[in-house]
Amino acid sequence: MNALIDAVAVESRKARSARVLWSTGALLTFGVATLAAVVVAAGRTADPAMLAKLGPQAATGDWTALLATAAQVTAAGGLLAFGVGLSWLTGREFADGTISGLFGLPVSRSAIATAKLIVFLAWAVVVSAALTVLLLVAGFALGLGAPDVAAIAGVARQFALGALTALIAVPAAWAASWGRGLLPGIAITVGILVLAQVSVLADFASWIPFVAPAFWSIHPDVDSALALSVVPLVPLIFGAATVMVWRRLQLDR
Amino acid sequence: MSDVRLRLSGVSRTYRGGAGVHGVDLDVAAGEIHALVGLNGAGKSTLMKLMVGMLRADAGTVEVLGRNIFGTDGVDWAQVGALIEYPLAYGELDGRTNLLMAARLRGMRGRAAATAVDGAIDELRLDRYAAVRARRLSLGNKQRIGLAAALQHHPRLIVLDEPTNALDPSGVILLREALLRRAEAGAGILISSHHLDEVARIATRISVIADGRIVGTLDPDGIDIERAFFAMVYTAEATTS
Repeated sequence: MNALIDAVAVESRKARSARVLWSTGALLTFGVATLAAVVVAAGRTADPAMLAKLGPQAATGDWTALLATAAQVTAAGGLLAFGVGLSWLTGREFADGTISGLFGLPVSRSAIATAKLIVFLAWAVVVSAALTVLLLVAGFALGLGAPDVAAIAGVARQFALGALTALIAVPAAWAASWGRGLLPGIAITVGILVLAQVSVLADFASWIPFVAPAFWSIHPDVDSALALSVVPLVPLIFGAATVMVWRRLQLDR
Repeated sequence: MSDVRLRLSGVSRTYRGGAGVHGVDLDVAAGEIHALVGLNGAGKSTLMKLMVGMLRADAGTVEVLGRNIFGTDGVDWAQVGALIEYPLAYGELDGRTNLLMAARLRGMRGRAAATAVDGAIDELRLDRYAAVRARRLSLGNKQRIGLAAALQHHPRLIVLDEPTNALDPSGVILLREALLRRAEAGAGILISSHHLDEVARIATRISVIADGRIVGTLDPDGIDIERAFFAMVYTAEATTS
């Protein structure tokens, strides 16, 4: 247990100084909030051509429009941002060559890999919370007034969507570890993103864990909420696989 | 307690194509600086990787501080310091924080870690770089950080692969003195190098590796050890080809 505490302390210290995590988190939070705010601001204009382009949901120009837009962008952009962050957290040891310094230590590589996943999830929760707060600030700044019950549920859903999206990005850790670099992690993230978006657009296979959060964010009903119960399988399976790769790691290639 | 800090018995590891190390026996005793010399590609780094578990041996055993490194008893790795291939220096952290992280990875915390780090910064003259992020350091100064990380906890076994790589002359002297102090204090030290003159100054024993095999030993105080070295290497190559 002490070894895991030491590993978490080291990984969290590295993460706090990591420009990649700061910039990726900032890009996601400010990017999504700005995009959602711009769409709502456009929806509040009286220009019929603009309203037609935005579609019925965004054109309402209220909290629902803000949160629906944010959810759609988070489902795709969040996955990419979290996948990049996690690919860097794990793959950078191979890319920088520091992996060789992680052998012959009392802190096992399993503990280090577990610590990386813990730090990633903590980072993702902070980023998701920051994005949620920023959306609230944007809503008030746009003059949307106090959010009603439905809007408050939408705010909670936005935070949950961020955290769930981080969970389905965990295969990036496995790919970056197995492939020993950042690019395999980013590649698998893009693959998951394509699978999720195509499935949502085709209204198909909402029960697939990689698809469920995006589907739920767009159709938040009982069925799509139930489908979320399979999402934890992704971090469990791919988290365990990541730890296994690190435990058995040999620097033979 | 055994005086032997490191023991390799019949260790083999063959890569695809046949390269690797073959049937190597080697040991390092307490208070000894054992140098492993060989040409590039002779198998020095492979052998050192096998010592800390970066590679698993196809055959033979590796014992560190009296324990099989893949045994169930577990090696006390907190008593080992190694620098093999790249220094453990994260670009986003400054020199001092890098050393604190290295100490933490060996279970050292709080005042004990800070004291060890301060000692290493002083010993390897890293004070100018303690507050500089590693990504801004030269290769040689990153190497000094890596060496400090491997030495700061005063391990009982030290394994260094080409430790003077990229070091300037003052860094080489500082390292040499640091190793001599630790050997005098009882640490067992194994260093690999392809610079004979460099290891002859501090080694108590020199083993020659060629084509993945230990092919002989050299007397560090010998008169023409360079000639003896090449004679051994060429004889080994003629035998295996």
